[in-house]
Amino acid sequence: MDEEVKGKGVSRRDFLKGLGGGAIGTAVVSTGLLDPGKAEAYPTEATGTGRGKSVINLKVNGRGYRLEVEHRTTLAELLRDQLGFTGTKIGCNRGECGACTVIVAGRNIYSCSQLAVWMDGKEILTIEGLVQGEKLDPVQEAFIEHDGPQCGFCTSGQIMSGKALLLRQPNPTEAQVRRALSGNLCRCGNYNREVAAVLAAAGKAR
Amino acid sequence: MAQKEFSVVGKRITRIDAYERVTGQAQYAGDIQLAGMLYARLLRSPHPHARVVSIDTSRAEKLPGVKAVIHHQNAQVPWASGGHTHRRYIFNNPVRFVGDAVAAVAASDRHIAEEALGLIEVKYEKLPHVLDPNEALKPGAPKISTDGNLSVGKGNFSAPIAEQWGDLEKGFKEADRIFEDTYISKHVNNAQLEPRASVAKWEGGKLTVWASTQGVSNARTDIAKDLGLPLSKVRVICKYMGGGFGNKNQAQDYDLMAAVLAKVTGQPVKVEFTREDDFIGMHGRWASEQHYKIGVKKDGTITAVELDAVTNVGAYRKQSGNLNGTDFYQIPNFKKVVKPVHTNTVVGANYRAPAYPQSVFGFASFLDQIAHEMGINPLEMFLKNRVRLYANKTPFTSNFLEECVVEGAKKVGWKEKWHKAGASAGPKKHGIGMALGGYPFRPGLGAAAIRVNPDGTAHVLVGVTDIGTGAKTTMAIIAAEALGIPLNQIQLTNGDTDVTPYSVGESGSRTTPFTGPAVIAAAEDVRKQIFSVAAPQLKSKPEDLDLRDGKVFVKSNPSQSLPLGRAVARSGELIGRATTNPTFKGLAGKSFAAHFAEVEVDSWTGHVKITRYVAAHDSGTIINRLAAESQIKGGVVQGIGMALTEELLIDKFTAVPLNPSYRDAKVPTHLEVPEIEVVFIEHPDPYGPFGGKVVGEPPITPAVATVANAIFNATGKRIKELPITPDKILRAAQV
Repeated sequence: MDEEVKGKGVSRRDFLKGLGGGAIGTAVVSTGLLDPGKAEAYPTEATGTGRGKSVINLKVNGRGYRLEVEHRTTLAELLRDQLGFTGTKIGCNRGECGACTVIVAGRNIYSCSQLAVWMDGKEILTIEGLVQGEKLDPVQEAFIEHDGPQCGFCTSGQIMSGKALLLRQPNPTEAQVRRALSGNLCRCGNYNREVAAVLAAAGKAR
Repeated sequence: MAQKEFSVVGKRITRIDAYERVTGQAQYAGDIQLAGMLYARLLRSPHPHARVVSIDTSRAEKLPGVKAVIHHQNAQVPWASGGHTHRRYIFNNPVRFVGDAVAAVAASDRHIAEEALGLIEVKYEKLPHVLDPNEALKPGAPKISTDGNLSVGKGNFSAPIAEQWGDLEKGFKEADRIFEDTYISKHVNNAQLEPRASVAKWEGGKLTVWASTQGVSNARTDIAKDLGLPLSKVRVICKYMGGGFGNKNQAQDYDLMAAVLAKVTGQPVKVEFTREDDFIGMHGRWASEQHYKIGVKKDGTITAVELDAVTNVGAYRKQSGNLNGTDFYQIPNFKKVVKPVHTNTVVGANYRAPAYPQSVFGFASFLDQIAHEMGINPLEMFLKNRVRLYANKTPFTSNFLEECVVEGAKKVGWKEKWHKAGASAGPKKHGIGMALGGYPFRPGLGAAAIRVNPDGTAHVLVGVTDIGTGAKTTMAIIAAEALGIPLNQIQLTNGDTDVTPYSVGESGSRTTPFTGPAVIAAAEDVRKQIFSVAAPQLKSKPEDLDLRDGKVFVKSNPSQSLPLGRAVARSGELIGRATTNPTFKGLAGKSFAAHFAEVEVDSWTGHVKITRYVAAHDSGTIINRLAAESQIKGGVVQGIGMALTEELLIDKFTAVPLNPSYRDAKVPTHLEVPEIEVVFIEHPDPYGPFGGKVVGEPPITPAVATVANAIFNATGKRIKELPITPDKILRAAQV
């Protein structure tokens, strides 16, 4: 396989150029090796190593992307390495810690445990997408007020799980908040703060 | 000492970098992306003790995208920060534990690097291994270190660690009763959320490392030493750090691997650890076996304590392996011998208050047991035996341990809630327990610089990292208070050895006592300069001026004033700086704590639910109430994990760690943690910056014993081995 194709340098620069124009648009990122028309979002060929590639279309934080991804690339890797959304963290890369939590179709999911090719046609919300212009999301504001982050590494995930909960249940109880965040580990042990912040974001003083 | 009126210190201040932390903008080492950057992964030993006979990397090197493979033959770089005993390298031969690093691969992408690991062919000659420290001390045991399995060390690390005062024999003679027992703690991984990552880049002979380190200054020193570079040729940057709790002190092997791989490939390299790498390859808290002999009078007063212990420091010695849990008690006659022992297991070293929680578990559990056997209320037992003089001779700079106990007991309702152990009716049994703790508060070298800009804002430069403690905010608060300007007029740059002054590194709860005084002194330095440029403008003398709320004014007539910006507008900028190294003049320093927990133990399942937790702390003046409370809560949560669930299990035959993952290591989640109530007993310490002592490490120290004692109070059965899992509770109930 050609070295140049695998390197991310080219496509990443193209992507950054693409970012320059307009907040909502479609940045077309492709090395042009594959005919997008024939691309399969769910590859069936056995490549063994997952090195095969497909083109996918997806929306991240309201912006459309057309990208070529390796089949073995996870959503977390796509977001972080290819698109530069490094607010999504990888803590365990095996679906245990929740640092990589993003929202897909209104649900909080572990982005380390989803392949990028499965995201064809999906809408993804990351921590970066919560900010509207200069305005923070109420969950983010509450995390500042309630000292939600200590080291901050789990914070994006905690906030995204809190946000997903509030999307489906705007007035949760404390028990509901704990359950909703229970897939997000915080080794700094800041659980009291994170729960208080989500409750506060829901408009409830603790 | 009267509480001074502060304008910023002591308030609830949100973090100055909170915005970056809640928006995903905070850049951690693993987030750094450089043009042409390679990714590196590690191959680790599958054997607990083996000689590497040969390494064939040819197949790996042929894999398209692979740029370099390094191992003990072509990259024998010492890892000095890892070795207080014998020389340790980034790759060792023989390998001494399952997880010891064997090789590292740099490739154009992480999947290729991972694939390449499987193509490296290593031939091992297996050597006999030993996992149990007691076995390791026996004659004829497999030799792990050339110096022997009792880790001899040097300086502070000389072993066995022995400490003695008073007259032990006399002490035991004076005792009405003598008790003897053994308590056991296990290896627990720090399990910080951020996996290890390091990015290295060379430019014209100068190395820059974006590290996930607790201290940029000592990381730079270590990297320079290990690579044989002048200090000036190494730059270490760490602006944000995703936790370490002691296992990211100084420079780590992966920083050195990144540097070597970047050198041989001529490209920037990012080394990334997997979560499993972190659990099996990096150190956690040393396990211990603590044998106590304790003499007490009829009224419960301790007359003598003898501690004979072994600790498991694993394959390499990184830290003392000491046990300091007796620090919080007044012991007139004392003898301690702690033997740090090498075994073929992962290294046991620093994890938040390294020598304390496991040791407090042993001693405070035993004291609680003795109180029970003598019919004394534990509250009285702990209060009576609390420490007054360090090592029975040295006064403390301040000591409000008694108030911690009294106020904490009041808050939890000890008087009303305590009952005899096992007296609670089932099936869900109520229990209440307590323990004492704390952590040394030491003075030391600090440095800081403060630039006052022509617009009246100030920029603080400090070398501190902020590993989650809120240290950046603490330093900004101290600067604002000392300067006399509002906090929102302060900017702060941290964690870059090319830009920021020396800082000790965030370990040993040293940032506030070491760097805090330097920030105050730098502020005083720049205030002098401000007053000297403002004096002519205010038609006054420098010594008659003061600065508060961003205004320079004449002390005798505050209405005669100038905004700071106006005062310094024509001075370009003023720069204050200081290097400080205070001492305690022969006194001992310590933050103190008394913790109280209530539990509910299900006698059918052995499940423990913590229903209430009160943590009372003497940390002197609290600089930032909000962050300090969070620190206390977090320390308690880690203690709860250590008490109830956490233990790195190692297969007795293969020596393979069985649970190197979050799920299986069972760190606490949102569901297990109660609201932790924090009580600050606030009296300014005469030696701390603005009266502050230390906050980071004290809260974990009594937490394990507190939970253990509450479980005993519920069940009436003493579990002497951590973690106190349901199976142990149920087994004890059947005896």
